[in-house]
Amino acid sequence: MNWTDILAFARGPFFEVALLVFIAGMAYRLVRILFLGWQPDKVPARGSKLGGVAKSFLKGVLIWPFIPWVKNTFKRNPIIYMAGGLFHLGLFVVIFLGTAHMLVWKSLIGIGWKTLPLPIVDWFAAATIVAIIALFINRLVNPVLKLISGPAEWFNLLFVFLPMVTGYALTHHLWFRYEVLYSLHMISVDVLLIWIPLSRISHFMFYFFSKAIHGADFGKRAVEP
Amino acid sequence: MENQVVINTFVKETGGYVASQLEACTRCGMCAEACHFYQATENPEFAPIWKIELLKRAYEQRFTLIGKIKLALGVDKQITDDDVAHFSKIVYEACTMCNKCSMVCPMGIQLGPLIHEVRTGFSNAGLVPADLMAAVNKQVTEGSPLGVTDDVFESRMEWVADEWEVELPMDVKGADTLVVFSSIEIMKFPENIAAIAKILNKAGEKWTLSTKAREVVNFGFYEGSTERTIMFLKRVFDGAVDLGVKKIVVTECGHAYDAMRWTSYNIMDVPKGIEITHIVGLIGEYVRSGKIKLKKGALDNGGTITFHDACKIQRRGGHIKEPREVLSILAPKTFKEMSPNREQAVCCGGGGGVIAIKEADPIRYAAFELKIDQMKKVGAKTVVMSCSNCRLQFTDCVQHFNLDVKVAGLSQLVADALVE
Amino acid sequence: MPDKSIFEELKEKGVSRRDFMKLCGTVAGAIGLTYLPPVKLNGASAKLGRSYKPAALVAKALATKSRLPVIWLEFQDCAGCSEALTRSQSPTLVDLVLNQITVEYHETLSAAAGFQADDAKMAAMKKYAGKYVLVIEGSVSPKDGGVYCTIGGKSSLALLQEAAAGAAAIIATGNCAAFGGLPKANPNPTGAVSVSEALPGKTILNIPGCPAIPEVFTGTLAHFLIFGTLPELDQLNRPKTFYGNTIHDRCLRRPFYEAGKFASSFDDEGAKQGYCLYKLGCKGPTTYNACASLKWCGGLSFPVQSGHPCLGCSEPNFWDGGGFYQGQSAPLDRPALVTAGAALATGAVIGAGAAAANHAQKKTAEHDEKKEK
Repeated sequence: MNWTDILAFARGPFFEVALLVFIAGMAYRLVRILFLGWQPDKVPARGSKLGGVAKSFLKGVLIWPFIPWVKNTFKRNPIIYMAGGLFHLGLFVVIFLGTAHMLVWKSLIGIGWKTLPLPIVDWFAAATIVAIIALFINRLVNPVLKLISGPAEWFNLLFVFLPMVTGYALTHHLWFRYEVLYSLHMISVDVLLIWIPLSRISHFMFYFFSKAIHGADFGKRAVEP
Repeated sequence: MENQVVINTFVKETGGYVASQLEACTRCGMCAEACHFYQATENPEFAPIWKIELLKRAYEQRFTLIGKIKLALGVDKQITDDDVAHFSKIVYEACTMCNKCSMVCPMGIQLGPLIHEVRTGFSNAGLVPADLMAAVNKQVTEGSPLGVTDDVFESRMEWVADEWEVELPMDVKGADTLVVFSSIEIMKFPENIAAIAKILNKAGEKWTLSTKAREVVNFGFYEGSTERTIMFLKRVFDGAVDLGVKKIVVTECGHAYDAMRWTSYNIMDVPKGIEITHIVGLIGEYVRSGKIKLKKGALDNGGTITFHDACKIQRRGGHIKEPREVLSILAPKTFKEMSPNREQAVCCGGGGGVIAIKEADPIRYAAFELKIDQMKKVGAKTVVMSCSNCRLQFTDCVQHFNLDVKVAGLSQLVADALVE
Repeated sequence: MPDKSIFEELKEKGVSRRDFMKLCGTVAGAIGLTYLPPVKLNGASAKLGRSYKPAALVAKALATKSRLPVIWLEFQDCAGCSEALTRSQSPTLVDLVLNQITVEYHETLSAAAGFQADDAKMAAMKKYAGKYVLVIEGSVSPKDGGVYCTIGGKSSLALLQEAAAGAAAIIATGNCAAFGGLPKANPNPTGAVSVSEALPGKTILNIPGCPAIPEVFTGTLAHFLIFGTLPELDQLNRPKTFYGNTIHDRCLRRPFYEAGKFASSFDDEGAKQGYCLYKLGCKGPTTYNACASLKWCGGLSFPVQSGHPCLGCSEPNFWDGGGFYQGQSAPLDRPALVTAGAALATGAVIGAGAAAANHAQKKTAEHDEKKEK
């Protein structure tokens, strides 16, 4: 058993199985919610529900992450606000705008796109890793988070941290040979893929439900979401 | 056995709306940063997401594979009688369902409505704080939590009409508009009745009061009981149908507006062809259309005046512009906004039934300190609001904290500044 | 009469002592003796004294050793590795070394053919038993009784086992011998395996590449000539001297990789500017070989320098590595659309089942509540 074989396994059959588990798992979670029954809303609207939904999505992506002071909570806890935002931004940049990952998408969906230079993606990756550490510490220290966190919350942090760190080490050829780092990276990615449908990391799918409900509820009342 | 009843209710109430939002939570804890009860007391159990913990547990343990496995393995615990008793206290005493939490939740989870569902479960199990339940029962038997029976109502209205020399049409069949007051106004702020009547008469509104539909406050809504919410709403709707009105105006009460305008249609058959609005909205219409004219700067000589947004009328009701339009006429020089305001405003801390529960007093006063801070920062001498429950809370707290601030209702100020 | 030493032979050919030392220095450099502490290498210290001067070491070895017999067998191959070696343009090093080995038998190059060639081979194996270096080119095919590759009626596996028995060292040159190469690629109809897989338990020195770089082969052989032992090997049994770094590590286009300047197609502006070929599927980062430093055609160029992404030809299973033009970061196995669709459908169906079960629970709860009331 050498690392070249481990790499071939982690990039090969393990990845394929992990991806299939991810697809099946997410479909399961989605359908289970979708078919649980939705009550029609008979309340006459005062404003546009659709407008509220649109605003809710746009604000969440375009305004809140970049203009933090529109949210009063920034004053209360700026570090966590920024850590959470930076974490997601960095993740997005690395996964979609990093050349290495773009090539993965290209092999999966058939199309590629222009990516950012490595040094820029690198900074985002480093920021993301720092953000994860900040979030980890916060979860240890904040009284509310201590109360509402279970073992799953710790696994969530760990299973996202590992791919980030191994990916970073891989890009910079840190500590081990390339195929060792690449293997560790792929194994951690495969584990993450399997973990997502079993955990709250799947929130990126339910985001669309809760944001739409939120936007509709506020839009109905003609209030800014 | 109450835990079983609670769990049963949760199971019944959990559809796509509840489930998708429970799934969306990432346990980030941001909601706590928006909750005035948590901010004031630093008690982590007051975090909004913790208030729906039992709803989440029931959902996971009954509807999800992982939840069932965790329960079987002992990683998760069953919901016990102790649990439901403990959470009942939190949900009734440390929450006004102001829904500010939903605004800071990165996922936009509607925690206010979800907490309401939790109250429904507790109400079915009879786990409602005694003070609140007493008020509810009073409303069931006497028609009002403050004991405004039809006799009390008639005599009160007569007295108001006499005292303030204002016309109060009663049970007028064929009127356009039915106005329903809250017993808080009837018993504690009767000047409000006179003020609103004056405004309506000046605007030439063909309005009426109704003995049958005399109470707009809905303590069943506070309790979370669908059955009693409907019961109290039905009294108003029946009265409206009897008189053949086309519009119902909810006067200065917040939760009543939430129950009638934004909830009733989804829990019962609402008579068709009747528009439901709030007095703040109506005043706004009158001012815009010129039906009433206000004296410019009428309040500019009393020091800084500020506006307190009522959670259920502004954030959850949508009537945010109207008070500002009015105050920009009445106090163009001295009106200052507190921060935050509008849909981001901080709750007074007394709504949702909290002020009716004696045991919640320490928490309620602690939460009000946030409002004191806000008013101090802006140097307010007068604070105006459009909800009588807020007014009750402010009045009580001004006395408790010995503050030098005047508490006023918006309708009152408008009525006093009408151009004849 | 004892065999003449390499130095004696060279002297007879007219190579002066000075030239001989220069040549030794070159050999020493080629096999990396300037970087490694040679006296500690593979327990050869006692035999070769304490001199740290690499050239002197090499000289001593060549001065005292006699020529090395080599038996070169080919099985499922294209003879490319042999071709590369014989076409090699490096006169001094390769010439020196090849002149110091006696290729007693070479599958392609032997003048004789047929049974005579076979007899010559068997004779050589008997004469130099225990002393000859066995070089294998091409993969071995044991499947179905070895019918897919036979020479003179004997299967490749049998021939290999027979030759391996009396070999002092076994070298698998080229990707086919080292890892199975092209014959092993999907679907591998002949059941091709590498020499290591065909001879379990024996240490095989792998010199992979498609073909193997000639200087790498001769450099490795020079090491064996000088020290009598195999050089330090990596975990795939490749000499670390030549396979210790990846193409990516020594690539001349590396700064463009770091700066994120890539060629997106073979004739775009990026390609013309000589940008990094990562997006065109370069396997440089995971490919261990000396292409970027030693290069090809006597140090002239190598694929990336000439504008083509590295194929990863010195790595196992490079033919099945996702495709030459697929990004090196892409997964090797992907579910087919049908399989993914099946997974989606399975999840959806089970989800619908769960939703139905949950619905039933809700109905029961409603019923129970009504009963309570």
